[in-house]
Amino acid sequence: MTAPGTAPAPAGRPGGLVRTVARTHRTALALALLVLAAATAALVWLHSLTDEARAGHSACATPPTDRLPSCAAVDAITADDTYTSGLSVTVTLLSWVMFPVAAWAGGALTGRELESGTARLAWTQSVTPARWLAAKLAVPAALLTAGTGGLVLVNVWARGDADPDLAGDWYYPDVFVSTGPVAVAYALAGLALGALAGLVWRRALPAAGVALAASLLLHTFLERHREDLWPPVTRTEAGSFELPRSALQVAWADSPVNGVPLTRATFHPESHFWPLQYVESGLLLAVAAVATAGAFVLLARRLP
Amino acid sequence: MSAATVGAPTAVRRFPEPRGLFLAMLRVHRSALLFWAALVAVAVGALLWALGPGADSAWAEYRASGCGGDSPNLGCDLPGPAHGRYDTVVACASGLLAVLPVLTGAWAGGALIGRELESGTARLAWTQSVTPARWLAAKLAVPALLLVPGTLVITLLHRALWASDSHLQRVLGWREWHDDSVFEANGILATAHPLAALALGVLAGLVVRRALPALAVAALAVMALVYVLDDVRPHLWPMPPGTPVLMHRHPSSHFWPLQLVETGIVLAVAALATAASFALLRRRTGAAV
Repeated sequence: MTAPGTAPAPAGRPGGLVRTVARTHRTALALALLVLAAATAALVWLHSLTDEARAGHSACATPPTDRLPSCAAVDAITADDTYTSGLSVTVTLLSWVMFPVAAWAGGALTGRELESGTARLAWTQSVTPARWLAAKLAVPAALLTAGTGGLVLVNVWARGDADPDLAGDWYYPDVFVSTGPVAVAYALAGLALGALAGLVWRRALPAAGVALAASLLLHTFLERHREDLWPPVTRTEAGSFELPRSALQVAWADSPVNGVPLTRATFHPESHFWPLQYVESGLLLAVAAVATAGAFVLLARRLP
Repeated sequence: MSAATVGAPTAVRRFPEPRGLFLAMLRVHRSALLFWAALVAVAVGALLWALGPGADSAWAEYRASGCGGDSPNLGCDLPGPAHGRYDTVVACASGLLAVLPVLTGAWAGGALIGRELESGTARLAWTQSVTPARWLAAKLAVPALLLVPGTLVITLLHRALWASDSHLQRVLGWREWHDDSVFEANGILATAHPLAALALGVLAGLVVRRALPALAVAALAVMALVYVLDDVRPHLWPMPPGTPVLMHRHPSSHFWPLQLVETGIVLAVAALATAASFALLRRRTGAAV
């Protein structure tokens, strides 16, 4: 029999640590939730504009015919502009999540605590340094995965079978990042790089700057080399042909062989979306894992 | 005589105070100074390379692939590796100019003002015969004086590149004079935007008084300013009646009028932010100013 009133305390320490991390960074948490709510609301609203936007972008004729509306009427619809610019802003925001995350992780999450000595204080409060770092990484990582992943799902739903004229093709850099798991991988890589930069520099502002620079380099590098992450398809035909719009063209050559014009196109069909997503996500998660391991090793070596 | 022995060494130090403030600022922010020097060096190096060997090899590659003649060839739309390199280097140089305002604002809000107010270094400085107003004036003037020559050099080189690579632009060009990055890099906006960002960052630092939040506020404010400016740009100079107000509908002769109107707006923002900064500091420090 256990005495009433001595019910086992709910695992106090981990919960306490999680709450501490959430409380210390409550401004960042509130801002992130605000951005998440605003982006979700914007995407739901943009989704409701889809039909009107399509009408504002349809073929037209002057004077109108039986099948085609008049161009003046189509021009008067502005929903397509709102839809296009709204989607492009949310898509860009989603593919840039890494940058504020990295700067925040380097500056506020680890750099500032090591600069001001708050970290040393925490380590005297029955929290070992390794558990401190683990909580610092795990709480934001869980929230980022849920938030970014959720927003990607809302984004994919809101775009539906969007007209590429209005919403962009699958291989546009920002569209590609914001419609698949790679968006989550970017956010996690930014978090790990930022935490590592904070531990290396141990000062808030330089760490934030370095983390941002490292993320910019990684983001730019992957954007430029995305097409090399999966073997492309090559199509060679006599004469000339056109690739469908959904193909991401990598190389094109038309050279006459023995007097016969020969066209050789190298491209990624739309079916390469998932392999490309998986390879890029894998690379980013590897970067995140290496940076996290580096952070733990560095922390262990710094301690007396 | 004692007057002779004392007089000689004191006569050398004629302007100790302003120079001391200037040197102290350079020393405190030496990593930012080094960063700025490196950024200018990279951008200048990239543009010089693009002007000389970069453009030459891109053009040679284009001619070697049987393009540039009279016969139309579908393959001529696609750049080869040399043109890819040329494009990357030019994009890096104008990309550095494009991120410069946000970097300047974030640094001014975080390191230049916010951190000094948070840690109390500013209060220490104000006891060292530097009044708060002179402290703020130096904080604004020294970075501004260092920003202007750097951005002007990059702008002049970018204009030289823009004038010289017209044959490449014609056949493979995806950059137009009215593209945001080209428009800014080819005129005085590349100088005006960072100055406004500096003033906004200083104001954010004085309002928030903490390094990291000031950095975030300043960066967001500068991004918002640049976004709004990109958005209203086509409206800044009248179009012929009946033409849709879009940047690519402007004739290229509108380049300088558009530049000058926007520069006026940006410098007005900078002046307002600076005036607000001085007013705020005066209210905070009372009669000490």
